[in-house]
Amino acid sequence: MGMTPLAAIIISLQAKLTVKTTLPTNLSAKQEHAGGWGRCTVQLSSLGGDSVPKKLVTIEEEEEHCSRLRANVVSRLVMADSSALICEENQHENVPVYEFMDVNSKEFHIGAFRDLWLDVLNPKVYSYSDTAPEIEDVEFIEEMGIESKTLEELKSICSVDSLRSGHEGTDNVPSDLHLSTLKLRKRRQDYKETLTRYTVDRHEVYANEMEMTSVGKKPDDLRDLIPEGEIILTFNIMYPILFRRFKFVRAYQTLHVLGSQKLSDLRDAICCVSDLQVFGEFSNTPDMVPQFISKDHYKSAFFFFNGTFFNDTRFPECQDISMTTQEWTRTRDFPEFKTAKMEDTSFYDLKMKVGFPYLYTHQGDCEHVVILTDVRFVHQNDCLDIKLYPLITHKHRVVTRKCSVCHLYISRWITTSDALAPTDPCLFCDQCFRMFHYDDKGNKLGDFLAYAYVDPGTFN
Amino acid sequence: RRIEKLCEYYWAPFKSDCEELLGRFQQTESVRYEGFSAIWREMDFSGVFFGTQSDHEKRYFTRLIFTIAYRYILPPYSFQIRVGGLYMIYGLYNTQLIWPKEKIRIALKDWYDVQKLIADAKSCQHLDVVYIFKRLLSSKAFCFTAMPQKLTFEGRERVQHNVNEEFRDHKNRVTELASIEMLEEIANMHGHYERLKKSSVPPSSGVTLLNLTYLVQKCAFEYQQWQDKIASSSRAVMLAAIKSKSYGHVSKGTKSRRHRQVEMVTPGSGTDQALFSQKRRPPSLRTRTWQNFGKPSEPEQTQEWLLSVMEEDKNALKRKDIRRFKWRNNWL
Repeated sequence: MGMTPLAAIIISLQAKLTVKTTLPTNLSAKQEHAGGWGRCTVQLSSLGGDSVPKKLVTIEEEEEHCSRLRANVVSRLVMADSSALICEENQHENVPVYEFMDVNSKEFHIGAFRDLWLDVLNPKVYSYSDTAPEIEDVEFIEEMGIESKTLEELKSICSVDSLRSGHEGTDNVPSDLHLSTLKLRKRRQDYKETLTRYTVDRHEVYANEMEMTSVGKKPDDLRDLIPEGEIILTFNIMYPILFRRFKFVRAYQTLHVLGSQKLSDLRDAICCVSDLQVFGEFSNTPDMVPQFISKDHYKSAFFFFNGTFFNDTRFPECQDISMTTQEWTRTRDFPEFKTAKMEDTSFYDLKMKVGFPYLYTHQGDCEHVVILTDVRFVHQNDCLDIKLYPLITHKHRVVTRKCSVCHLYISRWITTSDALAPTDPCLFCDQCFRMFHYDDKGNKLGDFLAYAYVDPGTFN
Repeated sequence: RRIEKLCEYYWAPFKSDCEELLGRFQQTESVRYEGFSAIWREMDFSGVFFGTQSDHEKRYFTRLIFTIAYRYILPPYSFQIRVGGLYMIYGLYNTQLIWPKEKIRIALKDWYDVQKLIADAKSCQHLDVVYIFKRLLSSKAFCFTAMPQKLTFEGRERVQHNVNEEFRDHKNRVTELASIEMLEEIANMHGHYERLKKSSVPPSSGVTLLNLTYLVQKCAFEYQQWQDKIASSSRAVMLAAIKSKSYGHVSKGTKSRRHRQVEMVTPGSGTDQALFSQKRRPPSLRTRTWQNFGKPSEPEQTQEWLLSVMEEDKNALKRKDIRRFKWRNNWL
């Protein structure tokens, strides 16, 4: 008996038989919960009553197929109890799950993720306006099939007053301690009182200031309102500091972008000091500082997400700077990388991993690590003005370097190979620089090289 | 950043508080909110927020406790514990002290579980569960996200969320396997197979037929009997009973069998050690020299001189004991 007739049966029957497996709701049960197990319900659509399928070749083959099917089903029923079997429906590949617990998620398509949420949510749940309580009451009564007096009873039992504490003052730990949390806090409070000097951390006071200025902002023009159901992505962009000193503190800025915005919008919003650098040696011509900055000159940049380089091609000066990397990888054992345009891709088109470090490069070699920390729906209390996005909510403050001479003004010049300066390189503010290195007539004194210096703390 | 790290020390104490609250709730053997709120008031649970001075710290603390409390709504906890978790979230959301209110983040993968929980509650007519959930939805307490927490790829101490075995859901797997639908399917298929066989093969084949439906049913029944014999109070049966007691049937009597103490997994000394590694400063060069080359058993004989202080003033040389605050007191 040849293989072909049986295969033909199987293929023809496949159209009629749908083996549907339902996924347990905790998909990564194996990963997350120790006791998870998969449940498989196998449903067979009927083969149309008693009739035998038309494409039957021989009776033995049909019987063999049926018995094989039966054995298959039985074995699945037996295996249903063990955790080994987890089947996936197509839509579930876009439900974000952990790849490594508490570290990062697996890749998922952002637009599809949003659609999955919209499928299961009632639009009232994410709208900016609140439904009138009377309407809510009526809906609840209808949904549960109860009487209105039952609802009144429910309301009084479940009101917020039922949670109220006996104590009024919330600033101090109450005296009758029962909760372990409070015991710890009391210990800390007692310890603080024993300190003779308690310095209030200035950073702590202003920590959330930037975020708080934009919370709850509504636009004046309603056309600028973010549509309901929009996704907000939060990116942490690290500063490109490579000193050993900064290994313990990663300086970063946090940007919120909308899902409908393009990658180029994110690129424009990133403030990096290397964008402001001015090139050229000006010891001989201190008064002539050209007015261009690197940002205008070198416009190419790219993002690297999940094997695709997104290049900025808006301006004619932009080159594809990812080409060098791609050519290098082709000579080694790397998978093939793709290229795409930054300004054509919106965040909804991307497939991303949450919590996974990615790359942003500009100026040819200024590289930033970019991490997508959060993907969520827009909320009533967020900043709702579309013009303000991409929104900066956190920026690490970098200490500004002052002039070595006066320690008062921010330095604008950096000199190297300077016989007059104490260190190499050395920073000067404008006035000190001129007074130190040039005489009254503007002649250069001594031998040195001078460059324009842009302080990293300019963005504070 | 520093405050955030310090707030993490509250993880273990708050978790033990949650487990105490839920443990007491478990003992009420019902899912009524009245019972829950009585325990809440008795424990004065809204006091977890008290005593923090700075807004910044309040916000981080609130976020942390939401992360911890959120876990109890999801599997593998039992229905009662999950409902308790929902009530707890409702309580914490409404008693938080910061404005704008910190939202409860809920990930898409967990949303399906929560929907199932509410659907179960609806089918058993647990009105208060559904009402509480609807109140949370309408007050926009939820924030619909991809992952339960923000992931910043920072090296933090990964704290394990150990599932409390007392709270775990024990499913009656055999009855789930041999459920009515499953048995029907098997019967259907068996019947179909029989029909095909009869129509195609002459009936003189010597194969004895297995009635699979009957066999599975018999097995399940035997298992059930054995289970009932082994434990007169089968956990799964009890859990199912709690689930089925709908709103409006508040039974007063406590079951006489329920006198066993609920053993809590105290995350105090034992697990605390396992969770957090102890940090001790490495011995200084002076100590090491003395240990390696001197006589380690005897105290060091070196005399320290301080010229600005009188010789009789012994206290001046003593290094002031800078007491740092010990967050993790293992005998707390």
